[in-house]
Amino acid sequence: MAALYPSQEWCDEWKKAINSSRAIKEAGKNWGVGFNGNLVFEIQPGGGLETTTHVFVAASGGECTECRIIGDPSKVAFGFHVKGSYPDFKEVVKGNKDFIAGVVTGVFKLEGPMLKIMSHAKFVRAVANSISSFEAEYLGE
Amino acid sequence: MPATGRSLLRSGDQMDAGVFPDHSEAVAKQGSKMPTIDDFIRPREWVSDFVSEMGKVLRRWGEERYVPMRRQVDEDWREHKIVEPLLKEVLVDLGINAAFFPAEAGGTEMPEPMTVCAVMAEELARIDSGFATACLCSVWGLMPILLTPHRNMDLCMEFGPRFCGDELYVGCHAMTESDSGADVENFGRMKGRTIRTTARLDGNEWVINGHKVWPSNSGKAADLFVVVCTTRKGSTDPNDFALVLAPADSTGVSVGNPYQKAGMAADLNSDIWFDEVRVPKRYRFHGPGDDLKYWKRAITMGNIGSAAMCVGIMKSVYEIVKKFTSQRVVAGKTLKEHSMVADMLSEVAVCIESTSAWMWQYARELDHPEIYGWDPWDERFVLKSRGLALYASTVVERVCSRAMDFMGSYGYSREFDVEKHWRDQKVIGIWMGGKGLKTLENARYWYDLETL
Repeated sequence: MAALYPSQEWCDEWKKAINSSRAIKEAGKNWGVGFNGNLVFEIQPGGGLETTTHVFVAASGGECTECRIIGDPSKVAFGFHVKGSYPDFKEVVKGNKDFIAGVVTGVFKLEGPMLKIMSHAKFVRAVANSISSFEAEYLGE
Repeated sequence: MPATGRSLLRSGDQMDAGVFPDHSEAVAKQGSKMPTIDDFIRPREWVSDFVSEMGKVLRRWGEERYVPMRRQVDEDWREHKIVEPLLKEVLVDLGINAAFFPAEAGGTEMPEPMTVCAVMAEELARIDSGFATACLCSVWGLMPILLTPHRNMDLCMEFGPRFCGDELYVGCHAMTESDSGADVENFGRMKGRTIRTTARLDGNEWVINGHKVWPSNSGKAADLFVVVCTTRKGSTDPNDFALVLAPADSTGVSVGNPYQKAGMAADLNSDIWFDEVRVPKRYRFHGPGDDLKYWKRAITMGNIGSAAMCVGIMKSVYEIVKKFTSQRVVAGKTLKEHSMVADMLSEVAVCIESTSAWMWQYARELDHPEIYGWDPWDERFVLKSRGLALYASTVVERVCSRAMDFMGSYGYSREFDVEKHWRDQKVIGIWMGGKGLKTLENARYWYDLETL
């Protein structure tokens, strides 16, 4: 059965997808090494989601060590913060819209050291591709 | 009066190093209110924070890594010992080579390619327009196979791992020829009939013969040539226009020594000879008709990118003259408080604002055919973007020249870098057909000329 996005079950599936990707392992071997490579995805309400939800992804050395729903992002250490609405994130998870394209055109706001993003663009691209690599169900549908 | 005598300048002096009375406190006080280069037009509703931040990464990289050795680059025109490692840092480590390759081929596949290119061109040209040219021309010629909806996925998959890998791999758009010069770019009128470089199909291979001159990265920097050629010498049939890839290590490819030029030493320009060079049939971009059609998108991108480089140069000059005229005191007041100097300063700002506004508008039009209704390869874009390139290359020359007029010998000196921009910018008006073609094609667009 497909996992509901966003939920802990979905986070577990995403973690599996990240860790089973050879592209992520190769491109991300230096990600999070010497800097905080953890990410928080802030999913803002709309399209069936009623409250802001945060997904925390701990990533380092090409591996995801933790992926979970968190309450307060200030309680975790992260280097990158991605913000966007649920309808926009939903399109990415479905594979209808490209995450990188969303960031570049300003649909999603990405805060964090840009130099790390640019110098690890392949890793970011591979992680973005993994979001839509497994089945999911959605709120409001 | 502005300084005009060389005797005022001690070798090695910097603007802040004691040549002038110290007014830095006053400048800092004013500086808090004074606009910066980031206050010139860059529509925030079009250029996302992410893309602007990406530009600032290039800016910081340039200031930290490139500027300290910028003056040595002029002497590195033959060997490229300084430039090549810096090219690797930008093209490989910062991912510029990979920016437009599809994800499947290891690229980042950025959307809005003209907008992204314009930010890159502007920021890199502010540091060194020759270096910007070398970086952006690495993938410029590949645009007809990289961008959607005319992407050639097979070629992207074959060359993507090289451009997006960990080693430096450089492309070169081999367009201009010694016999016909701008005629190759003047497709609207010459229709390719003067192209002397040929591609002959022999079984499953193209056999390339010809001679190209001046392309960016040609002087032993390039690993791969995009060869603009014809399948039938003297033909005016668009189906005979061809774009064919030729790896630099192919048998029959030879490259001359770099030319020593007035400026843009970071970009190597040379001759390339193709003597019975055999490449696989699949190395032709698209085939009859479509090669020319999608090449036009690359030409328009070249015009808009040229304007973006001019903006970058002018922003650098703006920073230099702002600092210079705020620090130098003549007749009891800073130079900028003199009306003739203020006139120059005003003109510099006007040129940046006007070029920026025009450039961003065209970038937007090219990236958003769904709004403006023209396909990005529409020939009308080629023609009207020549007007932008013409304007930008005219005003950048004037901005550099006027800044030098008011800085006197300091502007003419290498220590202040206006002189470098003045030497470098000149070729922007010369390349891609020169001011003549830019003028004619712009007029052709706006007035529907029939004979020119």
